[in-house]
Amino acid sequence: MLDMHSVPQQQPQGRQFNPYTENGGTILAIAGADFSVIAGDTRQSEGYSIQTRYAPKVFRLTDKAVLAVNGFAADGNMFVKKVRQRLEWYRHAHAKDMPIRAIARLIQTMLYARRFFPYYVYNILGGIEEDGTGAVYSFDPVGSYERETCRAAGAAQSLVQPFLDNQIYFKNQTPAAGTSFPSHLPLSTVLSLVIDSFTSATERHIEVGDGLEMYVVLARESTALQGVEGIGGVQEITMTEEGHRVFVIRRELKKD
Amino acid sequence: MNSLAEKYSTTSPLSKLRKAQQLAEDEELSDAMWGSSAGFGSLAKGIPSFTVAPVPDPAAFLRLHTDDHADPNCRIKIQHGTTTLAFRYKGGVIVAVDSRATAGSYVASGTVKKVIEINPYLLGTMAGGAADCQYWETYLGMHCRLHELRNRERISVSAASKYLSNLVYSYKGMGLSMGTMICGWDKTGPCIFYVDSDGTRLKGDLFSVGSGSTFAYGVLDQGYHWDLTDEEAQELGRRSIYAAGHRDAFSGNTCNLYHVKQDGWHFIGNYDLSKLHYEGPNNVAGQGYGYDVRTEGRTSANPPPAATATA
Amino acid sequence: MDHFPTNWGRPRNDYQDAYGTYPIHQRPRNPSTDAFSDAVKRTQQPIVTGTSVLGIKYKDGIMLAADNLASYGSLARFKDIQRLHAAGESTVIAASGDMSDFQYIQQLLEELMIEEFTEQDGHALGPAEIHEYLSQVLYARRSKINPLWNSLIVGGFKDGKKFLSYVDLLGTTYSASTIATGYGAYIAQPLLRKAVEGYEDVLTEEQALKIMEDNLRVLFYRDARSLNKFQIATITADGVRISEARQLDTSWSFAEGIRGYGAQTQ
Repeated sequence: MLDMHSVPQQQPQGRQFNPYTENGGTILAIAGADFSVIAGDTRQSEGYSIQTRYAPKVFRLTDKAVLAVNGFAADGNMFVKKVRQRLEWYRHAHAKDMPIRAIARLIQTMLYARRFFPYYVYNILGGIEEDGTGAVYSFDPVGSYERETCRAAGAAQSLVQPFLDNQIYFKNQTPAAGTSFPSHLPLSTVLSLVIDSFTSATERHIEVGDGLEMYVVLARESTALQGVEGIGGVQEITMTEEGHRVFVIRRELKKD
Repeated sequence: MNSLAEKYSTTSPLSKLRKAQQLAEDEELSDAMWGSSAGFGSLAKGIPSFTVAPVPDPAAFLRLHTDDHADPNCRIKIQHGTTTLAFRYKGGVIVAVDSRATAGSYVASGTVKKVIEINPYLLGTMAGGAADCQYWETYLGMHCRLHELRNRERISVSAASKYLSNLVYSYKGMGLSMGTMICGWDKTGPCIFYVDSDGTRLKGDLFSVGSGSTFAYGVLDQGYHWDLTDEEAQELGRRSIYAAGHRDAFSGNTCNLYHVKQDGWHFIGNYDLSKLHYEGPNNVAGQGYGYDVRTEGRTSANPPPAATATA
Repeated sequence: MDHFPTNWGRPRNDYQDAYGTYPIHQRPRNPSTDAFSDAVKRTQQPIVTGTSVLGIKYKDGIMLAADNLASYGSLARFKDIQRLHAAGESTVIAASGDMSDFQYIQQLLEELMIEEFTEQDGHALGPAEIHEYLSQVLYARRSKINPLWNSLIVGGFKDGKKFLSYVDLLGTTYSASTIATGYGAYIAQPLLRKAVEGYEDVLTEEQALKIMEDNLRVLFYRDARSLNKFQIATITADGVRISEARQLDTSWSFAEGIRGYGAQTQ
C-alpha cells in the first residue's frame, strides 16, 4: 500500500518551457479515380498575429506523392525534411521511387517513433497508388492512419469536412429516383470544391487565408486535365519524363 | 518516500524513460522506424526505442500536451477507437466492431478499420489509442511471421497474445492505451484473448471493449450460447454493435463483421448503423433494429403484428 | 482498463484520481486551463533581455534595426549593447530575447564562419545557409527542452537576391518583406506592412531609414523596455554596413493632450 501522505498531490512539474505552438492554417486532400488533389492555404500565424502570408504547407515528395502538413510549423518542416531524406535513401537503395502505400507506412513509423514526445503535426498524404488509382492517406499526430477519399485537417477542419462529406460522399443526400451518385468526381468538380472550401473557410476562420496552393497528381494516362482549362495558373512541376505528372495551382485568398 | 524510491529505482517507468532518453540522444535514427536506414529490415535488432522528451518526468509532459476528455484544451488530439466485441462459439469466432474515431468531441472519422488483420489466421481489435493499436498489432504481425519461419508452424493465439501483453507491459505507465482482443483459430480451436495496456491478459469466450461495451454486453449476454448457427452468431454480433452505436455517443457510423473459421478469418460485411436502424441487414424498410421503426403508427389499440400473434 | 474513450491516449494521473472517483465529464484537469498557449512556463528563463528588432526589404537590399538596450527585468541595465551581428560578407542577424543566448549564438556563428573559411573552397555562407543553420540549432535545442531564448531576424543580400527571415526559440521560421519581433510584432508590424508591402523594389535607403526611425520612435513611446538609442544595419550589393549608435529625436508634447484613460482622467 502506498503511503498516500508522501505522494505529492501535484507532481512538481515546475513552470515548464512549452516546446509547442500552433501555427493555424488548413489542409485538404481529395482522391479521384485517377488523380489526387492536395491543397493548403499559405498563411502562417501565431495567436492573433499573421507571421507571413506565404509559408507553404504542401510539399511534393515524388512524382506520385504529395504531403500536406499542418499544426506546429517547425515540427512540420522538420518532419517533411526527414521524410524526404528517407525517400532519398530509398531511391539510392532501390533505384525507384517509394510507392505511396509504403510512404504511408513509413510516415506511421516515423510519427510513432515520437509517441512519447509527439510531432504536433497532422499529415495528409495524397497521390497515385501503384494500380493507378488516386489515393489519400490521413494521419493523426502519433501515426494512426487510414486510406480515404477525402480529408480536411487543421484549423478549419470542422468547417470543411462536413461540406466535403456532403459534396463528395453525398452524405445526407438522397439520389433522385432512378439515379445514383457517382463514386468518383471529375477533376474540374473536385477543384471547384477545393476552391469553395477554402474561400468559405477564409470567411469564417481567422487563421485561414492569404493564398491557396493546390497540387494535382495525375496518373500517367489520365485525361482528367481536360475540362479544367477554365482554372488559370496551372503549372507543371513533374520531375521525370516517365511516371505520373504533378501540377501546382496557386490562387489568392482574402487577406483580412 | 514513494517518489524518492522512484527516483533511484531502475525498473520504474520513469527510469525506463530516462534510459530511453539517453538512447535517443545517441541515435539519430530511432529504430522504432522498422523501415530502417536504406530499406533493409531492422527487426532483428530487437525492441524498438522511442524519442522521449528530455524532462524530469516525461509521462507528466505527455499528459500535459496530449488530450483526453478530462482536459480538452490540450491540442495534440490522439484519435480514439470505441466499441469492439468478439465471442467464441461452436462455429468459430465472431468479431464485430464499430468504425467511429473521436478526437475530443469531434468525430475524426467514421470509416476506421478497427479490426486489424494481423495475418490470415489472426485478428486484433482496436480500442484505445488508434496509433497504439495499429502500430503494435502490425509489429505483432511481423513477429508472428518470424515465429512461423523459425518454428515451421503458425503461432498459437495464446503465444501471440502473450507476446503483445509482455510488450505493452514493458511500457506500462508511459501512456499507451489499448484494449484489444486477439482472435484466431489454432491447434486448440477457436480462441480469444483479451489484452490491454495495463498488462491484463485474459482467455475467454466473450469480450467487449470500449465505452459502448456495456450496451454490447447487454445484447450479447442475452443472445449468446455455444450452439449458435453461423447466421445467428453473425446477427448477434451485428445487433450488439448496433445497440452500442445507438446508445453510446462515442460509437457509431458503421459495423465491420468478421468470422474466424478453421481456414482463417473471413470478412462478412460492412453495415451502416443507421441503415440497420431503419432497414436491418436485409435492407427492407420497416424491418430495422430500431423499435420505434417497428412500432411506427402502432398504438395499444392497433398493436404491432408480433404482439397480435402472441395474444 | 479504463473503458471510457475520453480517458484514453495519455498517461493517467494516478496521483490525482487513482480510483476514477470523478464522474466522467468532470475528471481532474491539467493545472493550467490551456496547456498550449500558456507559453510563459519555463525551465530556463531569459534574464538579460533585448526587446523588439525590425527588418524590412527595400530597393537596394535589407535594412535591420535594433535599439541598444539590454534590460534586467524592468531595469534598463545596459544601454550600449549591440544587437546586430554581421555574419560573413552578406548577412546580419538581429536578436531579441536573452542576450547571453545571443552571445552564444554569435560564438557559434564565428566558429562556423572560421570553419567555412578554412575550407578555402570558394564557397561562402550566405544568408539562406545561415538562417537554415540557426533554425536547425534552435529547433534542436527546443527539442532538448533547453531552448536558446531568442527571436532572430536574419537579413541578407547575395547574388542579387534579398533575404529576410525569422527564426525563434521554438524553431519556427518564416520569410516576409517586413518582420518584427516581440512588441514590434504588434506595434510596428502593421505600420511596416503599410509602408513597405508593394514598395520593396522602390523604397530608397533614405525612405527605408525614415520608416525604421518612425517605427522605433513609436516603439519607444509605448514599449517600456525600449531605448531611444539604436543602430541600423543595411545589407546591399556593397556588403554589410552597421551604423554607429544614433539618438532618436522624440517629442512628448502630445502626451499633454491625452485625456480620458490611464492616470490622467481629467
